[in-house]
Amino acid sequence: MIDVVFLLIIFFMTTAQVARLTHTEIDLPLERGDQQATPDEAGLVININASGEIIVASRVVGLAELEEIVRSEIRKDPHRPAAQLKLLLRADRTVSASYLNSVVRLLDSLGVGVARLATEVPR
Amino acid sequence: MRMRRKKSRRRPNVTLNLASMIDVTFLLLLYFLVTTVLARPEDRLSPTLQTRSESAAGPTSDFQPQIVDVLRLDGRPAFRLGAQIFRDKASLTAALRPLPKSAGLFVHVFDNAQVGMVAAALQAGRDVGFEQVTYVPAE
Repeated sequence: MIDVVFLLIIFFMTTAQVARLTHTEIDLPLERGDQQATPDEAGLVININASGEIIVASRVVGLAELEEIVRSEIRKDPHRPAAQLKLLLRADRTVSASYLNSVVRLLDSLGVGVARLATEVPR
Repeated sequence: MRMRRKKSRRRPNVTLNLASMIDVTFLLLLYFLVTTVLARPEDRLSPTLQTRSESAAGPTSDFQPQIVDVLRLDGRPAFRLGAQIFRDKASLTAALRPLPKSAGLFVHVFDNAQVGMVAAALQAGRDVGFEQVTYVPAE
């Protein structure tokens, strides 16, 4: 029995992908994405859940607070232009695009030219 | 001749008490069972989502970018390409395929659309070979 238990532990240790704290449980759009061999760094992760709440680092924030968070991310590296800030938008597939639009407009006003939209790869 | 009797040393009976190890093992198993989150495989529509409408095709481009409206029409999801209305991603992809790709694709997102539709339009543009796909929120 001990053998079985050890095998189970090894199974969970090797197969479980520990979700990052920044990744809120969200039903992402079912698309296969860019299929990059090596996914690049996520950077700042902005979640939008099914209720339209904006969640950053497991905390619900408003647009004003999000603006401050993005500004501070931009300030972290003064040599990097705002347009090159790494951003990942994780939005629920069923939520109204108006929430995503408002975030995109905010990013645009801050000079962030490119963001990435997270998708869930269909099985 | 005196024979020395060999003293038979009694070897101490050493036993390893495994009870605590079993406890620890079960605790570890319980910990992994409870804390494990089986992450669903994720990907990104990475360079395709852009916020600046002028970035897809430069001002010097000879071509106009293709524009796809993502919206709800009659309460149903729709993709509008010129005068054509498409109700699913497959038909949008088929319509985008023969179009010139050099000027890029604008995905014009209306507030009444759903995020899933937006991702479908971005993916359709990506699938048919548009290198520049620009996200434009509707005014």
